[in-house]
Amino acid sequence: MKAPDDLSQPPSVARIFLVFLKIGTFAFGGVYSMLSFFERELVEKRRWISHDEYIESIAIGQMTPGAPIVNSGICIGYRLRKLRGALASTAGQIFTGTITAILLAVFYMKIKEHAILRPIMKGIGAAVIGLLLSIIFTMSRKTLKDHKTLLVAVAAFVLLALFKVSPIMIILTAGAAGFILFRNKSR
Amino acid sequence: MSLLLLCWILFYINALTIGGGYAMLPLLQREFVDKHHWLTNQEFLDAIAIGQLSPGPLTVMNAFIGFKLHGLTGSLLAVICSYLPSLIIVTLAVKYYYAYRESEFIAAGFTGIKSAVIGLLAAVAVSLGNTSLVDPGTFAIALCSFACITFTRIDPSFIILGAGLIGAFFF
Repeated sequence: MKAPDDLSQPPSVARIFLVFLKIGTFAFGGVYSMLSFFERELVEKRRWISHDEYIESIAIGQMTPGAPIVNSGICIGYRLRKLRGALASTAGQIFTGTITAILLAVFYMKIKEHAILRPIMKGIGAAVIGLLLSIIFTMSRKTLKDHKTLLVAVAAFVLLALFKVSPIMIILTAGAAGFILFRNKSR
Repeated sequence: MSLLLLCWILFYINALTIGGGYAMLPLLQREFVDKHHWLTNQEFLDAIAIGQLSPGPLTVMNAFIGFKLHGLTGSLLAVICSYLPSLIIVTLAVKYYYAYRESEFIAAGFTGIKSAVIGLLAAVAVSLGNTSLVDPGTFAIALCSFACITFTRIDPSFIILGAGLIGAFFF
């Protein structure tokens, strides 16, 4: 095993970028594989942050809007090198994905009308529905724990699916309703 | 003008959705497909697939959408506008973490939002399902993909690629 980095100085901005580039490039498979990658790279291997700081960063990532994993990275980058560290971790983490998405976009638009793409995208589209259902299933098990949370979820579904209410209005209303419904329960 | 509008839409959606990249799908679908007709339901599905296939967070799908609408400029601006809200809000949250964490108000509001997001995602799944589940074959793929992703540890990217292969040979 490699010796942990010298901790008398926080890592340079370039090092932060490179480590998060590695995390963003090689951590396939969504949140969980990325989280374990975070822990291995940043806590165990490099000791940039302690385990508690890691847990705290994950928590902040979950409690802030946007992609949680990027947010946890911002959190860690900010602790290490303030705003420049936060920018370096974000850039590193999304770099490869963004390039890949752009390349796929170029390719997709070139052959979009080609006959071979249609059956492929038909299969992929069906798999994406399965993926969405799986996300819904997993989220439900974690979040819908009582009648009140279930009621909010069903109400949101009905308002969007049947009445075409704007989803942002539904989210804001659900947040406001949460203040009333879940206030005593939290913590 | 529509480039500015694209930036604004991505900025506000990323600033307001709690619960991960998937929580943004209902808002993205409303803005891009239903309201502005910049994408069809099929293209939106393709965008999700590409976001899932690219390494890193699902939100890199915004780079794909940006590219499709406005080329390279569109994709770069889409990326900046997607992560700018996070940069602002997270750095504030780190500074005021203890106040933020202890806030009963925020925790209660989030419980409401996270519950609603599940309902919204279900509505998106129904609407996209109407587009993509057209015959027994596509139904079967959706079911298998659900089961594999939920109950095994196989990477969703492989499931999606596998479904593409099945499509190429059997549809």
